[in-house]
Amino acid sequence: MSSVDPMTPAGTASEAPAGIPGAVPASGNGHSDDEILVDIRHLKKYFPIQGGLLRRRIGQVYAVDDVSLEIRRGETLGLVGESGCGKTTLGRTVIRLLPATDGQVLFEGKDVASLEGRALKKMRRRMQIIFQDPVSSLNPRMPVSDIIGEGLLAQADHQNGWGKRSVRDKRVGDYLESVGLRREYSRRYPHEFSGGQRQRIGIARALALEPDFIVCDEPVSALDVSIQSQIINLLVDLRERFGLTYLFVAHNLSVIEYISDRVGVMYLGKLVELADVEELYRHPRHPYTIALLSAVPHPDPRIRKKRLVLAGDVPSPANPPSGCRFHTRCWLRERLGNPENCETIDPEFRDIGNGHRVACHWAEQITDAGVAELVPHLALARELRRQEALAAASAVAPQPAQEAPVSARPEEKVAVTASQEAATQLPEDGSVPPASEEPVPASDESARPMAEGSS
Amino acid sequence: MLNRRPAPVRQQPPQSSDGLLLDVRNLKTYFHVMDGVVKAVDGVDLRLAPGSTLGIVGESGSGKSVTALTMMRLLEIPPAEVADGEIWFDGRDLLTLTDEEMRGVRGNDIAMIFQEPMTSLNPVFTVGFQIAEAVRQHQHVSKKEAWNRAIEAVRLVGMSAPERRVKQYPHELSGGMRQRVMIAMALSSNPKLLIADEPTTALDVTIQAQILELIRDLQQRTDTALMLITHDLSVVAETVQHIAVMYAGRVVETGKVDDVLLSPQHPYTQGLLSSIPGEKKRGKELSAIKGVVPNPFRMPVGCKFQPRCPFQWSRCEEEPGLIEIGGPERRSRCWLQAPEETARREAYEVAAMATVADVVG
Repeated sequence: MSSVDPMTPAGTASEAPAGIPGAVPASGNGHSDDEILVDIRHLKKYFPIQGGLLRRRIGQVYAVDDVSLEIRRGETLGLVGESGCGKTTLGRTVIRLLPATDGQVLFEGKDVASLEGRALKKMRRRMQIIFQDPVSSLNPRMPVSDIIGEGLLAQADHQNGWGKRSVRDKRVGDYLESVGLRREYSRRYPHEFSGGQRQRIGIARALALEPDFIVCDEPVSALDVSIQSQIINLLVDLRERFGLTYLFVAHNLSVIEYISDRVGVMYLGKLVELADVEELYRHPRHPYTIALLSAVPHPDPRIRKKRLVLAGDVPSPANPPSGCRFHTRCWLRERLGNPENCETIDPEFRDIGNGHRVACHWAEQITDAGVAELVPHLALARELRRQEALAAASAVAPQPAQEAPVSARPEEKVAVTASQEAATQLPEDGSVPPASEEPVPASDESARPMAEGSS
Repeated sequence: MLNRRPAPVRQQPPQSSDGLLLDVRNLKTYFHVMDGVVKAVDGVDLRLAPGSTLGIVGESGSGKSVTALTMMRLLEIPPAEVADGEIWFDGRDLLTLTDEEMRGVRGNDIAMIFQEPMTSLNPVFTVGFQIAEAVRQHQHVSKKEAWNRAIEAVRLVGMSAPERRVKQYPHELSGGMRQRVMIAMALSSNPKLLIADEPTTALDVTIQAQILELIRDLQQRTDTALMLITHDLSVVAETVQHIAVMYAGRVVETGKVDDVLLSPQHPYTQGLLSSIPGEKKRGKELSAIKGVVPNPFRMPVGCKFQPRCPFQWSRCEEEPGLIEIGGPERRSRCWLQAPEETARREAYEVAAMATVADVVG
C-alpha cells in the first residue's frame, strides 16, 4: 500500500528519477531537453472597472499586460513581484481559470483558449493549481476523500475507472501517502488539520489528476517558517518523482531562489526581467529587481546595510505610468539625470545575452560592482568583498586568517571574473564596493547595556 | 473587562531592576477554554533597558503576542488568566495597577502597533482626527494644538503633504501608509516603550524595507525602547540589538542579536536559521524542523522542544532552565549548555556552525 509505482503519470515523456534521497533537485533537472511545455505569447488580462448607474465600464485594470515567456518541460519557473503586480493573475490565466483578454497560451503547442468541451476537460486534468491559503481553498463541509476525489470523479472515464468509489478511495489514500499524510485521514474534515497538513491536502488534490504542469500560487507564504521548509522539500521531491513542471509564484525571493531554475520578475503587469536563477541573483540588470533584492532582509546581523529604499507605493495598475512603468520609482533613472525615454518609450523586453531578458533602456549602465554595493548580501557582493579582504591581507601580512569572518572556508574563494572586469568600468556615481565587510560593532553608541532572561 | 489581580501592593521591585525600563518576571498567562487550560505564556522573563531594542522571535503559538498583550493588559479575563509573574515597568508592577492607572500607561508610556493596520484604524474618521484624539487622550492640549501635532506626527513618519494626508480616511491609504499612520499615532505621546507586533508581515518587501527603516530611525531619534515581535529572523537581524527566541510559551534563547544568529546555542534557533532557503541551499534538501508545534493540551514532558529536536537524549525528559553561557545576557534553555555535557555540546556546535555558514557565510 505504500507503493507509489502505480501513480507514475502516464504520458510523461521523461522518466522521473525515482526519489533518490539527496538527489540534485533544482538545477540540472530538465535542462537537458529543451522541449517547451507552456508557451505564453503576448498574454493580456484586463479586468473591467464598472461604475455609474448603469454599471458601465469606466476603465480597466491592466493586471497582466503583454507578457511572453516559455516554460520548459521539467523546469521550475519562479515568478516574483509585489502584491498587485499580476503574478497570480498570470498563473491563473495560463491554466485558463481566468479567460485571457488577448494573447495565447500554447500547451504542448495547442492553444488553451481555443479548446472547448471534452478537449478542454482533458487539458484541465494536465494543468493543476495549488493555492496560497490552505484554509479557504478546502471546502470545510467535505471530508478529505471528497475534496481530493471530486476532481477524479469529474475526470472519470472508462479507462481510468475513477467513477468507482473504491478506485477513487484507493487513489486518494495513495496520494495522501505520497504527500506525507496517513491514508486514514481521508475520512477527516479540513478543520482537523494544521496549516501545513492542509497545504499537503491541497497538493494531493492537484497531484491526484496526474498533471504535467502545476501552478504553485504562493504555496508556502501562509505557513510558519519550520513548516514552510517541509512543504518546499515536499514540492521538490514530488517534482522529481512525478516529473512535474512548476510555475512557482511567490513574493519571497529566497524561496524563489531555492526552488527555481529560471526566474521572472513582474512589475505592474509586465515582465521586467527573466533569467536563469543564478544569473538573476548574481547579475541582476533591471533596477526594480535590484531594489527588490536590496529590500529583502538578511539574517546576517553584520550586514546592517543602507538599503536602496524605493520611494512611494506601486502605482495603480488601472492607470499605469507612461513609458517604462517603473520610471516613477526608479533610482537608476534618477542617477542618470532623468533621461527622457524612460517616460516616453515603453522599453523592449530584450535579450542581453545568455537568455537573460530585461525591459530597461539603461540595463547596460548597471555593473556587478554597482549591484554589489546596493545589495551587500548577495553572493556576488560577498565574493567581491572576500577577494578584496584577501588582497588587502596579503598585501599587509602573509596570513589572511582573522580578516574574513566565520565562513572564510578555502573552497569558497571562487574567483568571479565577470565581476572583476566590471569593477574596472564603474559608472560615474562611484559605485565602489565597500572596502570590507564591516561588522557592526555589537555595542554602538545607541546601544545600552541590557540583560534579559533572569531566572 | 480587565480585572485587577488581587496582588499585594508592592511599590518597589523586590530585587534590583536598576536601570531597567521593563522587567518581566516569570510571567504566566493561561487561557481557560472548553477543553482545558492553554498555557500560552508559561514562565517568561524579559528585561529591557531604556532606549534599547529587543526582538522576540517565534512561530505562531509560541506565546510572543500573548506576552505583549498581557503587558498591555489587553486580554479579556476570563478566559485569560495571569497565573503568575510580575511586569515591572518604570518602577511599577503593571499587574497591580487599577484599570484607571493602566489607561494612563497604555498609549502614553507604552504604545503598540499591530500587524494589520486596517483593523486598528477606525474607518469612519480621518486619520488626522484619530491621531489628534490619541494626543488629547494623553496630553492636555487644545483641539487645535492636537490637530497640529497630528500633522507633525504624520510629517515625522515620512508621509508627503501631511496637511492633506490628515484629512484622508484609512481606506484612501495603502497598507504601508496605514502602518505609518499607526506609528505616527503610537509615537505621538512620546512613549517610553513601543511594542511592534509583526508590523511588516502584511506588507510587501519594498514597503517592509521602508517601514523597518522608519522604525529604526525614529527609535534612535526619539530614544524610545522598542520591542519587536516577529517570526522573521531576518527582520530582527537588522532592527534590534538583543533577541529572545520563544517556543511553546517559553524563552528558549536570549542574547545579543549577533551572538544568537551567528552562534545559536539552542537547537530550535539553529533549526529556524537552517530552514531559511537561499542560494547556498540550492540542490540540497532544506533542513526542516521535523514535526509540528506541540498540542497545547498535550505538552511534552521536560523540554518542550524535545520531540522535534535532532539532539534529543534521555536527559531531555527533565525540564532544563535557562542556562547561562558566558554571561547573564546570554542564555539557552537546553541541556547541551550544561557544563558537564561537553561531548554532546561539541557535536551540536559542529552542526550549528555548518548551519550558520550556510545562511550567512
